[in-house]
Order: sequence, then C-alpha cells, then structure tokens
Amino acid sequence: MSDTRIESYATALVQIAQAEGVLDRIKDDMYRVARAAESSDQLRSVLNDELIPAERRQTIVESLLEGKGHPLSSHLVGLVIGSGRGRDLAAILDIVAARGASESGMNLAEVRSAVALSADQQTRLAAALSKRTGKTVDLKVVVDPSVVGGIVATVGDIVIDGTVRTNLDQLKSRL
Amino acid sequence: MSLISLFATPDPTQTHSWILPETSEIIYGGISSTIVFALLYKFALPLAKKALSARTEKIAKEMSDAAQMRTDADTEAGDIRRAVGDIGNERTRLMAEADVQSEVLLREGRGRITVEVAELEAKAAADLVAAASRIGDELRGEIARLSSTTIDKVVRATLDDKAQQDLVESFINSVGASR
Repeated sequence: MSDTRIESYATALVQIAQAEGVLDRIKDDMYRVARAAESSDQLRSVLNDELIPAERRQTIVESLLEGKGHPLSSHLVGLVIGSGRGRDLAAILDIVAARGASESGMNLAEVRSAVALSADQQTRLAAALSKRTGKTVDLKVVVDPSVVGGIVATVGDIVIDGTVRTNLDQLKSRL
Repeated sequence: MSLISLFATPDPTQTHSWILPETSEIIYGGISSTIVFALLYKFALPLAKKALSARTEKIAKEMSDAAQMRTDADTEAGDIRRAVGDIGNERTRLMAEADVQSEVLLREGRGRITVEVAELEAKAAADLVAAASRIGDELRGEIARLSSTTIDKVVRATLDDKAQQDLVESFINSVGASR
C-alpha cells in the first residue's frame, strides 16, 4: 500500500479514537497489536486471509489484547482488516500509536530489550531518553530476544543502539 | 726268285716306267681328275665359301654384339656412376637442406617452448597467487565464521540475568549521561 493510503487509514483511526475520547488508551492497544502482527508471520497470514470470516479475525485481535484492550481497539483493527489492508496493519497501527503519543504532547519511544524492564528501569529510561532527545517520550517496551542483550531505543528518527546484537554484527563485519 | 732277277727280267704286266703310269691311265686319270676338280670347283667350292662366309659373318656378328654389349655395359656403368654421383650430390643436398630445416625447427621449437614455458610459469604463478588468495579468503572467512559463531555462543552463554541487567543499567546511564 502506498504511504498516502497508510497515512489516510491511520488518520481515520486517530480521528475516530479522538472523537470517542479514547486516543490515549487506543494508542497503547494499537502498539501491542502492531508488535504482535509484526513478529508473527502466521498471525499476519490469518489476519489477511479473507476466507476467514471478519468476525473470527476480530476475535483473534481481541484475544491478542487479552481482554485488556479498549472495545473500540478491536473494532478499529477489524475495520482495517475488513478493508483488506491487513498487510499494512502494523504500519497503520504504528502511525496511530505515534499520533496518539504526539496528541498527548509526547513522542513514541520504542525500546527493544532482551529482557523485560522493571517499572523503575522504564521510568529512568524514559527520563534518560527525554533528556537525551529533548522530548517527552511515551515509552513502549518490546521484549525482543533477537537483540541478545542491551537495549535499542527509537524515538522518531533517532535510534540509540546499545544492543549486543549490533556489537556482534559489527564485530563479524570487521572479521 | 731273287730280288735281282726280278729287276732283271721285264714283266709284261708292268708299265713302261716304274714311276709313271700308263699313258692312258694318265689321260683318263687326268680327265677324271679334271672332272672331279671341276665338279669340286663348281659345287663344293661355293658351298665351302658360303659356309666360311657364314661362319665369318657369325663370328663378326658375335664380335659386333660383344662390342655392342661392352659399349652398352660401359654406358650403363657410366649411367650408374653418374647416378651414384647424382645420388651422392642429392644426398648431400638433402642432408644440407635437412640440417637447415632441422636448425630452423629447432630454433622455432626452442623459441616456442621458451614462450610456452614462460606462459605456463606465469599462469602457474598467477594460479598460485589466486589459489593462495582464494584459500586465504576462504580461511579468513572460515575463521571469521567460526569466530563469529564462537563469540555469539560465548556471549550468549555469559549473558546471565545479572549481565543483562548490567547492560540495561549501563544503557540507561549512558543515555541519561549524554546530551
């Protein structure tokens, strides 16, 4: 899908969430679903399979949110999937999450770590990233074993990479 | 009868001369002899002359043939000697020509072989360098791959919870410290 179309879908979802006054809540759900879709080929395949009824696919999305998501979240995701745009679901939902953070006066900071971060670590990391970027950040932590160790943080166009994976890759390149 | 009496008494059966025959005998004898000689002259002498002439011709012919044969033999001997001489010259010429050609071939062969040897040496040297480079690359690649795999395993093995937490804390501290 073209960037314009992705932007349009994302804008529509943001406006719906804003109209319902739940953008701040929705953005977190969108981010979680986006990460789930991004990390699972099988999930993307199921969400894109038009032979599977839309209700069934929506149920899958609700199960992804584990009942903690806002009811509107599954409907918005269902709207995207039902429109046959499941292939770009992660991209659309990432924009929604970023817009949601932006609307709250913050910037989405995606943090990938090999291990889960404690609440204290998340707080300190958010503060450190805010200090580093000069922006108030909305921290989203993704546990990603592929980073091996350490953390990589992405705030807008800024990427701060302190992962063992990157260091290993650089070492391999030098070898 | 004594021998003297024989000489003393004339014998009527004897001729009138003790040395000459009777005249008639002489006449008849002479005529007969003449006839015989005439016949011989007439018939035998031509035959004899003819036989003698034929033999003379035969001998002359044989001598002529022998002379011709000798001439032919001399000619043939000359031809053979000349041919031998020609063969010798031809042999000498061929040998000289062969020497020249062999010298040319040898020179060309040596030149060609020298060039080929130089090319082979250059190719072998290039192959050697390429092989060494390729083997070096492969070796470096293999070492890098093994090192990478080993480092990956060692790093993963050493990254226990404490190390992970240290890395997280280190990252937070480094991000917070820089601006």
